[in-house]
Amino acid sequence: MSAWHRLMWSLRMARRELVAGELTVLALALFVAVTAMTSVAFFSDRIERALTRQATQLLAADLVLNADAPWPEAFRAGAVARGLELAESASFPSMVMAGDAATLATLKAVSERYPLRGALTVQAGGAEKSAGAPAPGTAWLDARLMAKLGVKQGDAVEVGQRRLTVAGQIVREPDATLDLYSFVPRLLLNHADLASTGLVQEGSRIRWRLMVAGEAAAVADYRREASARLPRGARVENVEEARPEVRTALERARRFLGLTAMLTVALSAAAVALAVRRYLARHWQSVAVLRCLGLTSREVGALFTGLFALLALAAGALGTVAGFGAQALLLTLAAGWLGADALPAPGPLPWAMGPLSALLLLGGLALPPLSTVRRIPAVAVLRVELPARRVGWLTPLAAVFVLLTLTAYLVGETVAALWILAALAGFLAAVGLVALAAVLLLRRLPLAGRVGWRYGVANLARRPALAMIQVVALSVGLMALLTLTVVRADLIGAWRASVPADAPNKFVINIQPEQRDTVADLFALDGRRAPELAPMVRARLVAINGRPVRPAAYRDERARRLAEREFNLSWRDSLPEGNRVTAGRFWAGQGAKPQFSVEEGLAGTLGIRMGDTLSFDIAGSVYKARVTSLREVPWDSFRVNFFVLAPPDWFSRQPASYITSFRLPADEEAFASRMVERLPNLTVIDVGVILDEVRGVVERLAQAVEAMFVLALAAGVLVLWAALTATRDERLFDVALLRALGASRRQLKSVLLAELACLGGLAGLLAGLGAMALGSVAALQLFKLPFFANPWLPLLGLALGTVVVALAGWPLLRKVARTAPMTVLRRE
Amino acid sequence: MLHPLEETSILSACELAKQVHLNGEALTILKSASLTLTDGESVAIVGASGSGKSTLLSLLAGLDRPSGGEVWLLGEPLSTLSEDARARLRRDRVGFVFQNFQLMPQLTALENVMLPLELSGHPKPEAAARAMLERVGLGQRLRHYPKHLSGGEQQRVALARAFVIRPRLLFADEPTGNLDAATGRQIIDLLFQLNAEEGTALVLVTHDTELAGRCDAIYRLVDGRLVGARP
Ligand SMILES: Nc1ncnc2c1ncn2[C@@H]1O[C@H](COP(=O)(O)OP(=O)(O)OP(=O)(O)O)[C@@H](O)[C@H]1O
Ligand SMILES: [Mg+2]
Repeated sequence: MSAWHRLMWSLRMARRELVAGELTVLALALFVAVTAMTSVAFFSDRIERALTRQATQLLAADLVLNADAPWPEAFRAGAVARGLELAESASFPSMVMAGDAATLATLKAVSERYPLRGALTVQAGGAEKSAGAPAPGTAWLDARLMAKLGVKQGDAVEVGQRRLTVAGQIVREPDATLDLYSFVPRLLLNHADLASTGLVQEGSRIRWRLMVAGEAAAVADYRREASARLPRGARVENVEEARPEVRTALERARRFLGLTAMLTVALSAAAVALAVRRYLARHWQSVAVLRCLGLTSREVGALFTGLFALLALAAGALGTVAGFGAQALLLTLAAGWLGADALPAPGPLPWAMGPLSALLLLGGLALPPLSTVRRIPAVAVLRVELPARRVGWLTPLAAVFVLLTLTAYLVGETVAALWILAALAGFLAAVGLVALAAVLLLRRLPLAGRVGWRYGVANLARRPALAMIQVVALSVGLMALLTLTVVRADLIGAWRASVPADAPNKFVINIQPEQRDTVADLFALDGRRAPELAPMVRARLVAINGRPVRPAAYRDERARRLAEREFNLSWRDSLPEGNRVTAGRFWAGQGAKPQFSVEEGLAGTLGIRMGDTLSFDIAGSVYKARVTSLREVPWDSFRVNFFVLAPPDWFSRQPASYITSFRLPADEEAFASRMVERLPNLTVIDVGVILDEVRGVVERLAQAVEAMFVLALAAGVLVLWAALTATRDERLFDVALLRALGASRRQLKSVLLAELACLGGLAGLLAGLGAMALGSVAALQLFKLPFFANPWLPLLGLALGTVVVALAGWPLLRKVARTAPMTVLRRE
Repeated sequence: MLHPLEETSILSACELAKQVHLNGEALTILKSASLTLTDGESVAIVGASGSGKSTLLSLLAGLDRPSGGEVWLLGEPLSTLSEDARARLRRDRVGFVFQNFQLMPQLTALENVMLPLELSGHPKPEAAARAMLERVGLGQRLRHYPKHLSGGEQQRVALARAFVIRPRLLFADEPTGNLDAATGRQIIDLLFQLNAEEGTALVLVTHDTELAGRCDAIYRLVDGRLVGARP
């Protein structure tokens, strides 16, 4: 046959096989795998873009350079030369006065083009509008400042030596969080007015920011160039730190998606493997016939390779299209936040990935057994004569591994991939061993009881390998179902609860030690439960293991900044709620000796390890102790948390102030005012807006993730289906034999039921245990969520397994009852 | 017995032997089997169950290799050919009919019959297959899958598949073994009718002496040897 002829024939055969339903499970499994992979690929591509966009909004530019002195002209020229948009701001704390009233505020002078990204919303003349810099001689004030000064639009305020007219109220300022004390009242003025305030003097604490925006490549180029020539005290503003809470939510969402995609791919791979096994097993005889009719072994190989390649390409193409559709759906669910409208279309990579991954999957899983099929001799038509079936494990494993890694890469989660891989491999190995042991045990057991039960169990024990494949495949499918329903609900529940409904929305700082009782009384008077007050002292990290800490020595920008900064140290006698010790032990109770507990992330950034000795300078005295534990801190809980903790009664003589957080419903704002009235030195910070935003993000992403789970669920069902059909033929043959040997239909039915129930129960029990383990690993390792294993899982698994397998076996039972033994022996 | 290779013979076997190794023990199935078949001729091979008839057939058709002796199929000595070369030799020249039909379950009746035509690159496989199925009386069942056909109907599809390429030689291994007597007779009638119309040589393995009697020659397989000859 010519190559063309052969290709056309392969195509025809593929069509016939499809029509006959031989390829249904295989095609579906491939389709689901590709859909899962590509939809996640498309989706995370877009999430990434949205993330970057959101970040630029928080900066009000694509890139922000920050310095403690005015920027040299060369930096402006560099941006202009690259065709980038340029804006500038200068912000600093200063007193603002209006009549007799005076208060501290953060002033920010912005140039004409500000903001380059995102929108500044102001309320002027009773209407909200988006605005740029205020006109020279005017200022935008935020609501807090207007209230404190008792001014309204049109009034005048004094800033240094300059009088400015209040032109409106700031509603939303995109880059407000960049300023350390963003909770201090704010005032925006025109950059041109800055000099006339007389506030720009030697020693004034002004942050000078250069903001640029434009084409991504040009921005990156400028960033490289500028980073290399940054003056002392200057830095590139880091967006990742702007909103750690949002970041946490996004990262979790990504992990959920990654986990789901990888689970889907792994499950689909299992379904594909089972389907291939069944497909080829059903075609042994056909191959022998083809050989008889004169097909050479190369032609047999070419036929099936071509058929599989066509199938992979078709399923891959369809799956990719479906993946794009699924992604569009996910996007709609997450839309409000992602702003799907303005997002550029996903790149070309995911489009190519779909068909390629289908080829890889099917190639890896089907080629090894195919090489055995090629060796089926023609004489097999006369006598069941099978070539030695030593199917290699390496190729399929490698293919699945590559695919999972690819998925992980797409989602940006290689660590998660390793965990999933390890968990799955562990589960497979454990289930395989247990199944084998159980089957071997059954074989030894002197079986009593009814005929059906006895033969059913004996049937299972007779072919340990087959029984093992069945149990493993069934439990993988059942585990997937359990994980995706029960465990998923638990996990997503825990995720949603990580930003609890009663999360604090107010922080109170600067409480003096002697004011603690008053604060408690204020809460009590108002009928509220007094929140815990945490002590806080300012400290500077001076040495690690006796070696002085020099900020400049850190290569990492973030580390340099952290090392420069003063830390808030706190002391307490027990582990703060929600914190988790990841290394060492947290001290318990009063009287613990001096030691430190450090937040894990900070330790990583600054290179602090367990057992290191840290020296902190607090108001001139040095406090030195070893690090005895590392902690993971749930920043998104919005509770008061500290990077570094120590036991009480050590530096507690040092001047401390107290900080606390609590939840205040929107209509009870008066309480906060009363508190500040009573204790004017207190500062109440409102984090409600951030809290709402984080909760909104979590909510929308959770929906998107749930939608993604549906896909994985489909893959799980497929595996179950494949597992049940894969061995159906063998079972049918067994049954026919028994029938031929004179077993009554009733006896046969009970044999089959016993076998199926046994199989399903065992698989279900293992699946329940597996799902429990997987859920715990996922919760603790991947999502850093507190997780309580659902104790009902094993029982649920047992029941589910028995019922599902028995139900799935029902048509088989009916078929057995209907067909004559000979037909079965001959045909199926 | 030794049959010289005749000019007109399309199949000739010379002192065929077959041994298999089972669990380390050698089992001799065929000791010395020889026969010759000329174009258009039909021979029957009879023998007790387990005497090695199917084994012999597989050697004659080049499906398996003998332990000793030689087979000339369509003028080619099979021992010099690889399994693939033997497959190519069979293609579009040798047909098969088996006791258990051996239709491809995933193909319809029509597609099963089209299969050998497609393999040999026939220009119009569908028309030819359709015509052949009509000849065996299954013109109404073209789109049916084997599992929806009765045993007799399946065997007729198998016959159609075997004859559609107008083979020079047809091997049939107990073609009526799975059929009731009446259906079996219909199949045999059809077989001999096609055999006569197409001039196909026929090697027929059977238990049925009456059936064997319709052949030009009968061989009996006894103790690994072929005895008997053309009447
Ligand atoms: N590859 C093999 N391995 C082991 N034994 C074999 C092999 N091939 C054939 N036999 C044995 O050789 C003997 C002859 O088998 P064969 O199938 O040729 O007999 P048969 O004459 O066709 O019988 P039947 O009339 O029942 O079909 C049988 O005992 C069979 O078990
Ligand atoms: Mg036989």
